[in-house]
Amino acid sequence: MLRLLSKIITTGKRTEKCPQIPTHVEEIGENLKRAIHTLYGGRTLRIRHVDAGSTNGEEYELTALGNALYDIERFGISFVASPRHADVITVSGPVTRNMEHALKTAYEMTPEPKIVIALGDGACTGGIWKDSYAGVGAVENVIPVDARIPGDPPTPEDVLRGLLSIVTTTRK
Amino acid sequence: MTYLLITFQALVVLLSAPLVVGMVRTLKARFQNRQGPSIFLPYVSMLSLLRKEMTITKHSSWVFRVVPFVVLGSAFFLALVVPSLFFGIVPSSLDNIFLFGAVVALGSVFLVLGGMDTGSTFGNMGSSREMTLAALVEPAFYVSLATLALATGAWGMGGIIGHFTSLPWLVAVPPVIVTLIGFLFVLLAENARYPVDNPATHLELTMVHEAMILEYSGTYLAMLEYASAIKLTALLAVCMGILIPFGISAPPVTFFGLGVALIAFFGKLALGAFAIAFIESVIVKMRFYRMQEYMMLAFFIALLGLAVELIVLYH
Amino acid sequence: MHLMSSFTIDCLFAVAFVLPLVGVVLSLLTRRFSWNNTLVQSIFILSGFAGLIAGSYFFALLGIGNSASFNATFFGLVNIALNSMQVFFLMLVYGGVLLTSLYAIQSLPPYKDVYVLPTLNVASAFFIVGMQATILSPSLFTFLMAWEIMSVSAYFLVIADRSDESLRAGWLYFVMTHIGFACIAAGLLLLAGGNLFASWHDVALSALSATPLAISVAFVLLFAGFGSKAGLVPLHQWLPYAHPQAPSGSSALLSGVMLKVALFGFIQGVALFPFVPSFSAFLVIGIGLLSAFFGALRAAVENDAKRVLAWSSIENMGLIFSAVGIYLLVHGSPDSAVSAIAPSIALFIILHTVNHFIFKTGLFMAVGAVASKTHTRNLDELGGLAQRWPIFAGIFLALSLAAAALPPFGTFFGEWTYFQTLASGMTVSALFGGSFALILALLALVGGLALFAYVRMFSAIFLGRARTTHAEQVSPMPILLWLPPLSSVLLSITAGLFLFPILSAPNAFTEGMTLFGDVAVLGGASMNAWWVLLSVLSIGVLLMVFRRFLSNRNPARITDTWDCGQPITPRMQYTATGFSAPIRFFFKSILMSEKELIIEPISMSNPWIVRRRLVWSIQSFFEYWLYRPIGIAVFAVSHAVKKLQNGVIQLYLLLVICALVLTLATTL
Repeated sequence: MLRLLSKIITTGKRTEKCPQIPTHVEEIGENLKRAIHTLYGGRTLRIRHVDAGSTNGEEYELTALGNALYDIERFGISFVASPRHADVITVSGPVTRNMEHALKTAYEMTPEPKIVIALGDGACTGGIWKDSYAGVGAVENVIPVDARIPGDPPTPEDVLRGLLSIVTTTRK
Repeated sequence: MTYLLITFQALVVLLSAPLVVGMVRTLKARFQNRQGPSIFLPYVSMLSLLRKEMTITKHSSWVFRVVPFVVLGSAFFLALVVPSLFFGIVPSSLDNIFLFGAVVALGSVFLVLGGMDTGSTFGNMGSSREMTLAALVEPAFYVSLATLALATGAWGMGGIIGHFTSLPWLVAVPPVIVTLIGFLFVLLAENARYPVDNPATHLELTMVHEAMILEYSGTYLAMLEYASAIKLTALLAVCMGILIPFGISAPPVTFFGLGVALIAFFGKLALGAFAIAFIESVIVKMRFYRMQEYMMLAFFIALLGLAVELIVLYH
Repeated sequence: MHLMSSFTIDCLFAVAFVLPLVGVVLSLLTRRFSWNNTLVQSIFILSGFAGLIAGSYFFALLGIGNSASFNATFFGLVNIALNSMQVFFLMLVYGGVLLTSLYAIQSLPPYKDVYVLPTLNVASAFFIVGMQATILSPSLFTFLMAWEIMSVSAYFLVIADRSDESLRAGWLYFVMTHIGFACIAAGLLLLAGGNLFASWHDVALSALSATPLAISVAFVLLFAGFGSKAGLVPLHQWLPYAHPQAPSGSSALLSGVMLKVALFGFIQGVALFPFVPSFSAFLVIGIGLLSAFFGALRAAVENDAKRVLAWSSIENMGLIFSAVGIYLLVHGSPDSAVSAIAPSIALFIILHTVNHFIFKTGLFMAVGAVASKTHTRNLDELGGLAQRWPIFAGIFLALSLAAAALPPFGTFFGEWTYFQTLASGMTVSALFGGSFALILALLALVGGLALFAYVRMFSAIFLGRARTTHAEQVSPMPILLWLPPLSSVLLSITAGLFLFPILSAPNAFTEGMTLFGDVAVLGGASMNAWWVLLSVLSIGVLLMVFRRFLSNRNPARITDTWDCGQPITPRMQYTATGFSAPIRFFFKSILMSEKELIIEPISMSNPWIVRRRLVWSIQSFFEYWLYRPIGIAVFAVSHAVKKLQNGVIQLYLLLVICALVLTLATTL
């Protein structure tokens, strides 16, 4: 235990500075505006992630978001286990036929006000699986999408920048 | 005047409960070399939950809807009787140690019922585990409380803390240190902390408390989260109040005394939060099917504390 | 006025005794009519009513203290001196009869093809008369006769549905109750010096001249006999089999009242002793605590709802008897600090007897109502009934909370008295401190396991979704099936509010002590049931007001259960067996639970196609470690003796000569 403690103390705080937030952001929908304003300006967001058929690249990057370097928790954003606890649903991957129903029920069970963010190229546009027989394409073919974070996969910084820009620009 | 003091004390506990949870979370983050969220985040979190709609499963009954009220009610009761700032103001019939234990059990029972009324396996699993833990932690709980009462000659929480404030620290506290360690075991078990349960997990197979609240949303979820924060704060206030009995006074109360009590209370809570964050950062969560070892250890430590106290009293 | 009142009390007791016998006659006379059952149950209700009024009159007139005595003459036929303890237990009998007969008016008719109702009611009537007579008996012979009537009529109640299981349970009960009867008769006759027709006074007189060995043997015999009937381990074996098999109203009487009559018999028997043997207190405490632990543990893992309640009765009677043991230990001790423990313990014994009677009769009736509507008692097959019977679910929840000893129900205040007295008694000496602390810890564990058992039972029956078709289509419950359990809930709350203060200071009430004051027990700790109820209600009201104002006012949206995207079926929920899996794991060595996966290959050509069966079982601890070895020993001895019957006539002649020589030698 002493070794662990000394390692903690010598390592110190490793969190990187808050990333530069891009000024240009696409059109902000009504639902997104209403949701952020109801939820106290997005100062606390609970995210429930749904993997609708991705390559898991996005999930790796999301997992990295919780580590000491990126530390998404300092912005009040956390991941929850149940859609009933969530404010934000992030979907990754093109929606496969097997996961279509699951995605719809997850969306249905999330209480209003809710935000849907499509994460990664597969979720935003369908990616290279757009016309596949095994999938339904982009997430917006199944549930209404409020924001998109493109990338294949988006780096943790990209995801962080995307989330923060959604929150801060809608807050204004 | 006493009613005013009781209400004020209860309000202080109720308002500081999310702060304790926030402090534990942030300190844990610092132990993980991260920045961590603001310590006031749970306030925003619970308030934003109040603004969300509620979605309820169609397989539940009225019991599901009553559960948050009873759980929060039992937590309110704990906030009322725990002597955080003053002692000797609550009627002695209401802060009796056995009534304290029974109200904690009542809250656990209803949370378990809430988990069972969901129609899904996750909630049922959390309920089964939580009920087992609540049943097995009772001996350690009651023996440690009875030892504290034996040491002080008072049967209510207020009287116990009052006794510790009136004697010099070196005389009163060292004999009960072992009992306090046993009480710490009970505190960790009752509040779903390591090594009994992980409050931040997303894996249902590792959940005990979290699993029962998976089907709750909106206002009910806020009530349940608030109730668990209050329970943590109340039990922590008891533990730290015995360990560091400084600042707690009996009426009549002056403004200076009130200020000292408030500062001491927040200091104790910060110290307690640090201790919990430290424990959670250096040990791992135990496997559920090894819980009998944990419970037996807690019970034997409580018995050892009783033996120490008996030796001190009768030697 | 006084004379008029005592005549009224006398008449009412006599009426309460005789009415069930009238009911027997009427039941047999009117057995062809459809209103036969209602008529007989109404007569029982009248009998219970008369008795309750007589008992209340008695306590109002003569006070609640021990010294009250009343001569009941039963229309001049007999002369019985009734004391407060007898009337207290009689009130339990009358209360139980009242509630269960009210319940039986609508609970028995659906079973008229299973039970022969007129004969069932005849057995019930004799059971009721037997219980009253046992309590009222002034002499040894009448006591034994009444005990026998009570036991045998209980046998007929147990075998009422004449199924194989009932017949087996009845046989086990019959044998064990007669072993108990033999022990009781032997013990009492030892005390009475062989005089079968002695009155209790004469028995106490002749006990004065008994040898210490005879006293010890008599105590053990009496404890064994009464303890077996009260359900104490290790002679409890009949109880979990017999109580579930009787009709629900009768189970309620068997569990709620007959066990108390056994307690009464034990207390009355011990009162005859000039002194109790030194080991007696420890024996009673030990057996009581053991029963409490085993009862609670088995209640947490059983699947038959009524068997859960039967084991819970064993647990509660164990609690009461452990308190009786502590009373025997501290009562009459020369050290005043030690003997001061006795009144508080006595308070717990009385309170818990009443509270257990209230919630156990209520629970048996409630479970019987569920069983009659869903046609199953198996907890694994029920579920979701709270959506179909919301009010009844509330009643059952209240009864379960009362049984688990949670505030604001009366059972909590009784158990508080026990816990508090034990804790206060720790201050007497280091020895008391250590042993009372261990007892306190064991009781806390027992309480936790009992809590587990009742939460499990309630959740399995009422919460979630219906696990099988048994619980899916159920019709509304008739009023007389849920009204008696509701009365039990109200009685439980009133017991905490009224009985708790009144019984703690019975003489103080004549001097104008208020009902709302704190109840103080040993050591200065106090409890106030009214404050607890007030805080519960006010916190509840406060919360509801906050909810109305502080949150999003939209009504909740009803969706499906979160299933991670995969459709879930009701069978995927935890069953009661699954719920208790951790307890079975943690107490594996005591429960001797076994889980076996049996794999049978089906197809010759493909070894991967198999039939899998999971079999789990729990063995009875005492059956394995106590009854089985005794049985094996008995069989071994009888096999050895059998060798004497080898058909050789010379050996038989030799045996006859030996017997003659032995007889001549002992008589001369």
